[in-house]
Amino acid sequence: MGDFSHSRASQPLINPNGWRSGTRAIACLGLALTLVTFTLAHPGTARAANTTPGLSRADGYSEQRLLEVFALMARGQSREALAKAEKLVQDYPHFQLAQLVYGDLLAARTRPLQTLGDMAPDAARAGAATLADLREESKQRIGSVKERPPEGFVPSQFLKMAPRTRSAIAIDASRSRLYLFENTPTGLQLQADYYVSLGKAGVSKSQEGDQRTPLGVYFISSRLDRKTLTDFYGIGALTLNYPNMLDVRRGKSGSGIWLHGTPPDQFARAPHATDGCLVLSNPDIRTLMETTTVRNTPVVVASQLVWKSAKQLEDPAKSFATTLESWRTAKSSGDLKKTLAFYTPDFSSYGKSLDQFTPLLKAEMRASKGRNVELKDVSYFQWSDSAETMVVSFGEVSAGKRTGMHKRQYWVRSSNEWKIFFEGVH
Amino acid sequence: MQKSPRFAVCLLSLLLTSALAGKAWADDFSEVAQLSREGKFVEALAKAEVYLSSRPKDAQMRLLKGLVQRDAGKPADAISTFTRMNEDFPELPEPYNNLGVIYADQNQLDKARTAFEMALRTNPSYSTAHENLADVYGRLSSAAYNKALQIDLSNAAVAPKLALVRQIITLNPTKLSAAQLAALPKVQPAPAAPATQVAIAATKASPEPAPKAAPLPETAVKPTREPATAARKPVDDTPPTTAKSATTKAAPAPLVDTTANREVEQAVQRWATAWSDKDLKAYFAAYGRDFDPAGKQSRNAWEEERRARIEGKANISIQITDLQTLVRGNTALVKFRQNYRANSIAISSRKTLEMVRQGDNWKIVREAVGG
Repeated sequence: MGDFSHSRASQPLINPNGWRSGTRAIACLGLALTLVTFTLAHPGTARAANTTPGLSRADGYSEQRLLEVFALMARGQSREALAKAEKLVQDYPHFQLAQLVYGDLLAARTRPLQTLGDMAPDAARAGAATLADLREESKQRIGSVKERPPEGFVPSQFLKMAPRTRSAIAIDASRSRLYLFENTPTGLQLQADYYVSLGKAGVSKSQEGDQRTPLGVYFISSRLDRKTLTDFYGIGALTLNYPNMLDVRRGKSGSGIWLHGTPPDQFARAPHATDGCLVLSNPDIRTLMETTTVRNTPVVVASQLVWKSAKQLEDPAKSFATTLESWRTAKSSGDLKKTLAFYTPDFSSYGKSLDQFTPLLKAEMRASKGRNVELKDVSYFQWSDSAETMVVSFGEVSAGKRTGMHKRQYWVRSSNEWKIFFEGVH
Repeated sequence: MQKSPRFAVCLLSLLLTSALAGKAWADDFSEVAQLSREGKFVEALAKAEVYLSSRPKDAQMRLLKGLVQRDAGKPADAISTFTRMNEDFPELPEPYNNLGVIYADQNQLDKARTAFEMALRTNPSYSTAHENLADVYGRLSSAAYNKALQIDLSNAAVAPKLALVRQIITLNPTKLSAAQLAALPKVQPAPAAPATQVAIAATKASPEPAPKAAPLPETAVKPTREPATAARKPVDDTPPTTAKSATTKAAPAPLVDTTANREVEQAVQRWATAWSDKDLKAYFAAYGRDFDPAGKQSRNAWEEERRARIEGKANISIQITDLQTLVRGNTALVKFRQNYRANSIAISSRKTLEMVRQGDNWKIVREAVGG
């Protein structure tokens, strides 16, 4: 139960000037890496300066420094690159990729480099798996910084965000990248983005122990302080509500999918290294823990994010708003039959079938005594895979009342009609 | 070698003291070295101190003192000696080099690296420091790779032995008395001999002053790299050729003896292959009986040094490019770029070999390396 009276008006979701970090590609180094140069301060630090005066954040900084080293290498300034790499490994001795690049820059003093991690063959053989992981990590980090999302675009899942929800997270598994958004009065703005490690076996978790990271729309369900955790999870964790109601409907199993940090002796993990969790460097997870809220912050995990402009999202958002409005109207009218038509035959609410749920619905409608049902703080996130679904959150309040219920619905589209297959208080 | 004026001034003062020294000094050097060889470090150091009390600015004795301290198992004292030398003779690369070797002994690789870099700042073509620095970079690089891959390869790769220098080579060698040089213990120049050591050999071989002549008559070969490299690495081009260039300068352009050229090139190739294969017998056989090791080293000492350097490497690859050959009668001058690769280090440098025909074979009698 919660209070839904609030004064902020509903705001457009999209901010055309949302993206803050400009980057451009520069020359290739012969390391088979296309490298980057920076034109602006890192988004994380820029945001920190804007929103958290006096607190200097370290999130993303180590990666920025690593990429500066790459950029110097690409320009042939290997001496400067070596000096910067040396400082970097002093500051982050457990940043393995930085150590690898540092090793290369030292080796480059005596011979030309052929590849990233250009070590003697016996060493490369002895650490072949780790070396491959580090090269992949490098590729993923560079790729994400080189190819930025188009300015003002947001992941297609974010159709509507309640103004109350401060932040949103989207993960692009193909890039090993987590994007953190701030929900501002002018819409979602990209605040920072971080390298993230995913499941050893990739994505699309379906059963317990499959070492995959689930794909879908999730919410942060709790925040775990480091005091309650072992070192393995680093400075803290945010748990996700996997399996969500769509996962349950599909018979997926498993649990304990968290966003968490790294142990003290490991700065970052390989792109595919976890049992399904999403692992970030400690400075990065710290920022997430400080900027997200339990229950509200959505976490979209996609195999590949599709970025859309505000304009592109207008139509689908309006279209679903109409559907939701017709459900609200039906429920307000007190017409049970008409309202029940919005629910799928295999509807389920925490184990209750539609038949078992119907009396509850009837009771709710009776309680409102014909008063209009109002929806506050509406958010909806679309998720499309083999099915088109919508995850909807709102506060349901009868007109004239000050309190109501936090509800979540899962909708599915079949033959051009949206139906509710889950509804529950959360 | 290009010397800055500052360098020259310092040399002059050093040379003056050396030149005034006379024979008695050579005995002192010889004695300190001998005592040290016998393990009588206390006596050796005492002797050195007595000598230095009246000639505190004697670079050679101070270098020797540092070496004795190191051999006596007092690395901290040796570090102090070489560090003070760096303050007093900032232009000399040798103290920096030896300081670097001691730091490397102690696995203080970052400090070793700085010391070798300083040695090279004083003398960019000082190849002992080049090779030592390359080894240190290799070790630092391996350490970083170990951290990156979280494996321990320390047993897999044997740390290469770094080369100490036992005399101030960068002093003008002709001014060091023969006795002084002879007194020096077990000279250990880098296997890739510093260019200046070659200068000693060349000067000894040819009494006439070394002219700064173009080393190869332009008609004999078509040097492609020469203009670019000549300015940077003049040492490559001058010393070993002095005897010839003095005479050939006025002579008409010689006809190129293609058969002899081919024989010489094959001999060079065999030498490089023997080195790559670590075939020491064949490698040493490539050098003539009258091969003159750089830096006043005896043939035996030189062979011992080379053996240690070559056998100490897990694998060696020598590639020769830009080969230029000039044959004149039974002597030949060969210049090339030597791409040396061993374990994880690689050094590309210019090299000059002077060869003579001995029977059916061409043998190396002098070897010079640029930095």
